[in-house]
Amino acid sequence: MNQFAYHQQQMQAPMPMSYQHDGKSAETRNLKPGELSTGTTIMAIPFEGGVVLGADSRTSTGTYIANRVSDKLAQLHDHIWCCRSGSAADTQALTDYVRHYLSQLAIETGRAPTVKTAAHLMRRLCYENKDNLMAGVIIGGWDPVEKGSVYNIPLGGTCIKMPFAIGGSGSTYIYGLVDSMYSEGMTEEEAHTCVKKAISHAMARDGSSGGVIRTVVVKESGNAREYVPGNALPFGP
Amino acid sequence: MSEFTNNTVNSVKKPVEETPSGFSFDNIHRNAMIEQMSKQQAASGSNSSYLPQATKTGTTIVGLVYKDGVVLGADTRATGGTEVADKNCEKIHYLAPNIYCCGAGTAADTEKTTELISSQLDLLRMNTEGSQSRVVTACTMLKRMLFRYQGHVSAALVLGGVDVDGPHVYQIYPHGSTAKLSYTTMGSGSLAAMSVFESGYVDGMTEEEGIELVKRAILAGVFNDLGSGSNVDVCVIRNDGTTKMDRGAVQPNDVTPLRNAINRSDKLNMRSGTTAVLKSSFKPHSVGGVTLADVTVTDMET
Amino acid sequence: MSILEYNGAAIIAMTGKDCVAIACDTRLGAQAQTVSCDFKKVFQFGKTFVGLAGLASDVQTMNSLLKFRKNLYELREEREMTPRVLSNLLSNLLYEKRFGPYFIEPVVAGLDDDNKPFLSGMDLIGAPVYTDDFVVTGTATANMYGMCETLYKKDMEPEELFETLSQALLSSVDRDALSGWGATVHIVTKDGVMTRELKGRMD
Repeated sequence: MNQFAYHQQQMQAPMPMSYQHDGKSAETRNLKPGELSTGTTIMAIPFEGGVVLGADSRTSTGTYIANRVSDKLAQLHDHIWCCRSGSAADTQALTDYVRHYLSQLAIETGRAPTVKTAAHLMRRLCYENKDNLMAGVIIGGWDPVEKGSVYNIPLGGTCIKMPFAIGGSGSTYIYGLVDSMYSEGMTEEEAHTCVKKAISHAMARDGSSGGVIRTVVVKESGNAREYVPGNALPFGP
Repeated sequence: MSEFTNNTVNSVKKPVEETPSGFSFDNIHRNAMIEQMSKQQAASGSNSSYLPQATKTGTTIVGLVYKDGVVLGADTRATGGTEVADKNCEKIHYLAPNIYCCGAGTAADTEKTTELISSQLDLLRMNTEGSQSRVVTACTMLKRMLFRYQGHVSAALVLGGVDVDGPHVYQIYPHGSTAKLSYTTMGSGSLAAMSVFESGYVDGMTEEEGIELVKRAILAGVFNDLGSGSNVDVCVIRNDGTTKMDRGAVQPNDVTPLRNAINRSDKLNMRSGTTAVLKSSFKPHSVGGVTLADVTVTDMET
Repeated sequence: MSILEYNGAAIIAMTGKDCVAIACDTRLGAQAQTVSCDFKKVFQFGKTFVGLAGLASDVQTMNSLLKFRKNLYELREEREMTPRVLSNLLSNLLYEKRFGPYFIEPVVAGLDDDNKPFLSGMDLIGAPVYTDDFVVTGTATANMYGMCETLYKKDMEPEELFETLSQALLSSVDRDALSGWGATVHIVTKDGVMTRELKGRMD
């Protein structure tokens, strides 16, 4: 009987009549009061033999910038990286878990895990705990099977392999820009330039993104970290 | 640990003095009812909170890395609502001989969280042949604890210390997110303190320069933030493992000299016999504490 | 109105020269209605006294809980509990119920092993405040703070401490509707405890 009543309540839950914009992005709307958010711009583009990941460096509580030099790129395994957006606490906990699972898996199987495995571990955590999490992440990396690959895991916990991925509150400003800049089979140079340029433009328009641009180029030969200081952004035509 | 032991202990009767570890949620249902009842009783419409508020440390706490270690700083005011609950409280907590931690937020939470992690670090050191605790270890233990309680344990921390990898400063938010920084501020006065740091911090400062900057940052909080006040506490942890805890490094609000400067009116000295006493009795101390002979066992009322 | 103010209370503890004293009012109310004029809210644990202000039911629950834990401690350890230990015990008992607290704000006052005064206060979830002059708790804290800040001086002898403390409390509760109706003072010295009942306004 109780269950029936519950179902009815669910059915009668009022549907929003029309979508009203509250000026916040999906990642920041449902944060608890005082929670830190990486109101963010993140992106990842694969190229022949690797992948470039990039992010801005702003972490905010409301309008206050809690950290202007944060690192939203987290290393999950030797050749697998992750861009974080949403709640700082949630995404840090998630990446800690996935890093732990992957290192365990690598020992058990005796070989390096694939990016796909990492992405689906992350997806499982995001999907099964979606009521309690506020996390949108992009997984990118290099493995012998797919070479460079990028997986996008937005809020609900779906996992989609993509030719390139952008995320965070700042990404809405640069969809068109990235669409026009991206082409299949980009070189490492082109991909890297594209990431830096796109994030620069997002940072210029999005109040929750800013600071410096942090990137990592992941290849079989290793990872190369780089950053662009805030006064040398490749902004403009 | 509790996940493994709970199943078995249900069948074995526990000794009466053993209390379960962790939080107890016994009163939650009762307190929810109390809140609801007092809301119904109240005349109408006021949105004030009916459940009492815990002591907060509306606070300025800071930390920075200098050439040979870290400097931590804190003000010393604790507030309960608008009342100053403590004019000289300690907000720089000991975690390990080489690690200290400043706390802002709910006073009990910062106090008990750091106390708990401090004892866990102590046990860890004993289990690892007395090797020095690392600052990352403390940071990870704190963030896991805070993340588990989803921000309900409201402790905002500035963690600082030195270990084999050198000096480190971390900021830890109540929800369990952390960041490793070379200088950071937290609490309600963090904005004032950060403005001092952003204009004054340079890499590779000397100890004197570091302490001076920390003092200035805390004073900015003390004078510009209503939640912060009283004195400045400074703690230095050096790379060689020595520490210097300076309670009351700056005391801009000390009233003792002012009070000593004026003559205390004799009217304020209460003379014997001022108070009307109805009944008076004197009982000498019994020594040695409770023995079994003193404890009266009574039947439980049923 | 907060549930901490439902029954009403005013408690002050003060240090003197090798002595401490704790004073409380004796009223038990149900909001504005006075129910009893001899309600106990300060309890003795050897050379230590604990004052519990707040919800009367929790005052009595906490007293019996403390008495239980203190007796267990003394039976096992075969020594008396010092005020610092009692204060820590109380603080931890309160923090255990962090998410469903007892509605009491306690003060602890006593003499330690060397007969040096010890004083502490707590909020309802056990955040301790240690002072070496005075602590207050209850519904008239603002009044009591004012009186104590004015009247207190260091190193008072027991007799002057009694008068100072009593006057501070009586004047405070006269301006608080939820406390008063008589008062009790305990002065702890190295020899014993002097307990005095004060004449106060009964309105």
